[in-house]
Amino acid sequence: MGSVPAQWRSVIPHLGYDLPADRAPHRTTGAPVQVNLPMSLARQQVGQREFWDIPEPVLEAYRRYRPTPLWRAVGFERAIGAKVPIWAKYEGGNISGSHKYNTALAQAYYYKQAGVRELVTGTGAGQWGTALAAACAQFGLACTVFMVGSSLRKKPYRGVLMRMLGAEVHASPSGLTDISRQVVADQANGLSLALGEAVQYAAAREGVAFSSGSGETYSILHQSVIGLESIEQLAEQSATVDAVVGSVGAGSNFGGIALPFACAAAAGDLAMPLLVGAESASTPKLTRGTYAYDHTDATGSGPMEAMYTIGSSYAVPDSHSAGLRYHGAAKVISAMRAAKQLSATAVHQVEALEAGRLFTLHESVLPAPESGHALAAAARIATGQDAEHRCQEGVLVCVSGHGYLDLAAYDQLLQGQLQDERPSDEVLAAAMAGLTGAVNISRLQVTA
Amino acid sequence: MSTDLELRTSINDAVKRVALTESRVSAPVSAVADDEPLNGELLSVTSMGFLGMMMQLEDDCGIVLPDDLFVGRRFTTVADVVDIVLAQVADAGTA
Repeated sequence: MGSVPAQWRSVIPHLGYDLPADRAPHRTTGAPVQVNLPMSLARQQVGQREFWDIPEPVLEAYRRYRPTPLWRAVGFERAIGAKVPIWAKYEGGNISGSHKYNTALAQAYYYKQAGVRELVTGTGAGQWGTALAAACAQFGLACTVFMVGSSLRKKPYRGVLMRMLGAEVHASPSGLTDISRQVVADQANGLSLALGEAVQYAAAREGVAFSSGSGETYSILHQSVIGLESIEQLAEQSATVDAVVGSVGAGSNFGGIALPFACAAAAGDLAMPLLVGAESASTPKLTRGTYAYDHTDATGSGPMEAMYTIGSSYAVPDSHSAGLRYHGAAKVISAMRAAKQLSATAVHQVEALEAGRLFTLHESVLPAPESGHALAAAARIATGQDAEHRCQEGVLVCVSGHGYLDLAAYDQLLQGQLQDERPSDEVLAAAMAGLTGAVNISRLQVTA
Repeated sequence: MSTDLELRTSINDAVKRVALTESRVSAPVSAVADDEPLNGELLSVTSMGFLGMMMQLEDDCGIVLPDDLFVGRRFTTVADVVDIVLAQVADAGTA
């Protein structure tokens, strides 16, 4: 059912405004500009083209697991009392267990073409690290992964899988980098630190590049295969949806499933559905954050991006929101949020895992905790419980990954041991207090 | 057919023009020295802004920069960028 797209599709030409330019973190006279990106990815990052050919080696790798399944989740609908159909698009059926393999393959291919011999990255729950390790194995690159230490201890098999795929895996803080040696205890648990370690580790080595993961504009472009397939698969079943939901860590699976619908709507091919990002209530950047310039990692050395953020200094509390535990949203997702072209809702971990449990029970698919957030948000919309997001035709939800390595979280749910923690307004205000250069949302007026 | 000097001057001006635009500085091209730092008193170029500059120069100069050009590279002054573009123009001319 469906086919693998031969091209990625970008929403950038349809935004009607330019994404805010990055800013230098601080002005250092004479400091060189360091560039660590193949030109192909650079073009996809800043280019204005809508359609981008997928290189044949990447397409060949895609064909081994794509098109991914899309089905009407009738059992889940019944279990929650849905008033409209819910369509599930499942991205957990590849070696990495998540959608992140879609961009990891593309990135590894382009870096290999550019002469890089090793990629280094940081990972939270381990899905991105696993995806990159698998992609590096496919294209003959070495791979080093810094994984958030608390996650690695909870999910040791993620580390095993990455090592089976040939990667070197370090628990962050690792003690291998300056930034990890300087970190204080309450900041030692976040993805931004793991990313910062990867940045420093790569910068100190020849032929080694840092791969920033899944929030970059080019990553979201690569993820467009999810939405493009979904549009075709829904059409094959004569189904229409007026809400599209995905979970948001930085925003790549949400962007992947949702933004092709925005492209198709802009082209007049379908009506624009509600695009709803489901974020963790423990890292509520889209619902309680501010649109400002912030750092993407703990080193603060890279360019500052305009993003919805709760502050890169925010000490992310330990939880089962896994890959959603990131302080900021991708720049394209953030800009569209500011321009009111998409919406967001926050979900606590108990509700997310309960939605995941119901989906497992009634659809025979075990979702990752991240996907549980999307399923919970979809359930609210489909049952009419979400007063902000109403739909009448159907909801499409991205089940971005499997939860086989997250069973400890489900065990805690079954044992009644999970609690929700909502960050206080004071804590968030303190984390955002240092942010400067708030983005003037009125400058994102749609001009096209 | 441009002479080497004319070509260098043309590319020099093109690089300075996009660097000023990227830095959001309203100044004439003549205000930018050949060895002007990309991050200094006048210009302020981020790594992502630099990539935007290079895309613009691809269009302006009719060249296609190869994939392996930028991985791991550092650029300090305007002249560093001019040298890269000139080399690609020369390659295009001999290809």
